[in-house]
Amino acid sequence: MKKSRKLPSRVIIILTMLFFYLPILYIIIFSFNDSRSLTHFSGFSLQWYEKMFADDTMMAAVFYTILVAVLATAISTIVGTITAIGLSRSHRILQAAVQRINDLPVMNPDIITGIGLLMLFSALAVGKGFMTMLLAHIMFCIPYVMLSVSPKLRSLDPNLTDAAMDLGATPWQAIWRVIVPQIKPGIISGALIAFTMSFDDFVISYFVTGNGVQNISILVYTMSKRVNPSINALSTLVIVIITLCLGIANLVPIVRERRAKALAEGEGKPAMSRGKRRALCAAVACVVVIAVAAVGIGGSAAKTARTQEAIAKYGSATLKLYIWGEYLGENVISDFESQYGVDVIVEYFDSNEMMYTKLQAGDSYDLLVPSDYMIERLIENDMLQKLDLSLIPNRENLTDSLLELDCDPEGEYAVPYFWGSVGLVYNHENVDPAVVEAEGWDILLDTDYAGRIYMYDSERDSFMTALKALGYSMNTDNEQELQEAYEWLMQCNAAMSPVYVTDEVIDNMISGAKDIAVVYSGDATVILDENEDMSYCEPYQGTNIWVDAMVIPANAENPLLAHEFINFVLTYEASYDNSETVGYASPNAQVLEEMSGEMGLYEENEAYLPRTDYELDEMFHNNDTLRRTLSELWIKVKAS
Amino acid sequence: MKRFTAMSCPYIAWIAVMIGVPMILIVFYAFTVEGNDVATVRFSLSNFVRFVTDATFLQVLGLSIYIALLTTVICVVLGYPVAYVISRAPGRHNMILILLITMPTWINMLVRTYAWMGILQSGGVLSTILGWFGLEDVTLLYTDFAVVLGMVYNFIPFMILQIHTSLAKMDGSLAEAAGDLGANAVQTFLRVTLPLSLPGIISGITLVFLPAVSSFFIPKLLGGGQYVLVGNIIENQFLTAGDWNFGSAISLIMAVIIMISMYLTRRAERRVSADRG
Repeated sequence: MKKSRKLPSRVIIILTMLFFYLPILYIIIFSFNDSRSLTHFSGFSLQWYEKMFADDTMMAAVFYTILVAVLATAISTIVGTITAIGLSRSHRILQAAVQRINDLPVMNPDIITGIGLLMLFSALAVGKGFMTMLLAHIMFCIPYVMLSVSPKLRSLDPNLTDAAMDLGATPWQAIWRVIVPQIKPGIISGALIAFTMSFDDFVISYFVTGNGVQNISILVYTMSKRVNPSINALSTLVIVIITLCLGIANLVPIVRERRAKALAEGEGKPAMSRGKRRALCAAVACVVVIAVAAVGIGGSAAKTARTQEAIAKYGSATLKLYIWGEYLGENVISDFESQYGVDVIVEYFDSNEMMYTKLQAGDSYDLLVPSDYMIERLIENDMLQKLDLSLIPNRENLTDSLLELDCDPEGEYAVPYFWGSVGLVYNHENVDPAVVEAEGWDILLDTDYAGRIYMYDSERDSFMTALKALGYSMNTDNEQELQEAYEWLMQCNAAMSPVYVTDEVIDNMISGAKDIAVVYSGDATVILDENEDMSYCEPYQGTNIWVDAMVIPANAENPLLAHEFINFVLTYEASYDNSETVGYASPNAQVLEEMSGEMGLYEENEAYLPRTDYELDEMFHNNDTLRRTLSELWIKVKAS
Repeated sequence: MKRFTAMSCPYIAWIAVMIGVPMILIVFYAFTVEGNDVATVRFSLSNFVRFVTDATFLQVLGLSIYIALLTTVICVVLGYPVAYVISRAPGRHNMILILLITMPTWINMLVRTYAWMGILQSGGVLSTILGWFGLEDVTLLYTDFAVVLGMVYNFIPFMILQIHTSLAKMDGSLAEAAGDLGANAVQTFLRVTLPLSLPGIISGITLVFLPAVSSFFIPKLLGGGQYVLVGNIIENQFLTAGDWNFGSAISLIMAVIIMISMYLTRRAERRVSADRG
């Protein structure tokens, strides 16, 4: 009887675990992959682990994630439980009110909570960083704890507490000795959920943190521009840490039981073992505090003579850089730091608009690397300061086509960092290159290729594609032309059933999942490098030639050092490193020539060098009303 | 009684600042146009009118609610047996199983979703396995199936945890008593166990439905960009279009819809508990 009952439960558990751990297994396996791909395993390698351990930002992120999660869980579990108990014996109306308010952070999209808190912290002028992140996490964790604890309290007999108090217990004793043991499962599951939420949170953390404090999620999201298997390695590390902790946690009760048994057999004095345990707890707490303090002191004690020199020269030895994720050469930051005796705090964004939102809320950085149209917007809103070109002698290394930028015609604000085009990557085994050249963007309406295309999921790039295909300027605000472009995209959506992707396109095209994709040139460089069946074409109807450039915000704290960094990036070595790692076209004339020239790194990669001096190519301009119109039309295209 | 109320006072002060103030800001944005500047505030309902009168937005709202409901139902149906089995497992196994259920959620959501993309990708693990059974070229990624799978995968642990919490506390002798009184296994489950675990199911539904209805990473990655849900529109309004007023209005509309549904579920729960009592 009993056995027949056990079998189905076993099956259920096994199936559940299979479902839960299949992706985890997948993550672990691909952390040992030889290449960047997340779909094809090409060989065993430990390179992603090496990269991870060598990366200070990653290790710091692990530290902050765990610290914040542990503290937020502990605090929110205690506060949440106490509050829930208090409320359970309070007036109904108060209960209902708190419950309603608690629902808000649970049900509001994270971005609302994140931006709400960002505005709150900015209004209170609180310095963003570890504390603000911790406070935010406590704030969104407590409702989850209460959500878990409250149902248990509701099914609890209210007379229990009264009985305990009648028997002489103080309210606190009644809670600790009577209520808490009864609702323990609720508290545990609340704590687990709180920990999960804190550990996994990206959006809220992103908006409330600053000064280089990042958690794993922020790193993952901003690094996912390029599929980065180091993140799989990091996840594997987290799995190992958690498994170890759980193992220890499960061993402790066994050990304790044995000891208790031994004590019971001998002449044990339970009081002493309790004292010992307390001493042990205190010791552990001390070690943690000392370790945390040591990290802090170690950081400040490391001020060498060179740092003093840097402070004397620039006013401060810290540079706060805000840049696209996965946009820096492997050694650029460390070389700059050691050469100038300074510290660089790097934060990442994954869209121009995300960066703008943080700036708007008053966050201060020394150097930004946004795109052309965003630079225009920043200039229009007086958010940038003019450069002192005498401090940037290496500006003469710029390639000719970048000396004059549409977004900064006088060259007063911006110095190019990377540039490129938008074009079509296609599989020349399945698509005739002559057809691509002849049809250009119109191939995206060619039903011969229906179901085989990726569109880039951004209103700006999609409308550019459509407007160029129709022979209009991509900066038009003529309603008739926009309407035509909208219909062009609707037709594409209906006839071609494209998949709209962003950075996933890189991995998908490397594995050859579809035949044609709209791609940024630097991403195309990577795709062509990894899959030799792929080619790149800049359509004859013209395309977007864009520039991402370095600018100094008006509220920068260390503009002198920012100038120094700009100058440094333009050197041959740093430019080479950047372009080699990331794959985008260098602004440095010599690097550009070498890489695309004979024996160069990208000699046979037609995506590396963007087209210049082509009449139909354009740069984007900032236009506030157009931005809103396009984003609304784009949602309609996708949702139709 | 007073003393107990006093215990929740610090938290009430806390939520007033940390939840109340940001929420007031959102409401303020929702009812104004171009209200970034306090000097030029203009109150208006136009943000709401714009949403309600647009067929596309309403369609997106409908799809979001449908997907979230589907996810919630699947989570209850699949999660309940798992929670039941775990709650019947002996002491230490019980704890380990709970931890095994929770652990995957400690791996970053995006990383897990990327793993699913790899698994579902044409030429990936799953389509290869299906190929062995003669099902070739099955498209799995960028389908409804992929989106719901991703949602269920991400949110079902919360459902299991909540139901388990309810079941674990249940007095086992109740079911025995029902059996002694002549109820068969099915009757015992339907009349005793299920009603007693209802609070757990309800808070599980809260924990699954709420995040599911506003999620936007999972649909975007597993469904492709053509999978527009309300969460995507809100994100887009705040980050791309820069229209905080409209974005706030949409999330306020969502909040109202969710509050109503929460109110109804809670009332239903109370009625069931009242019946029992």
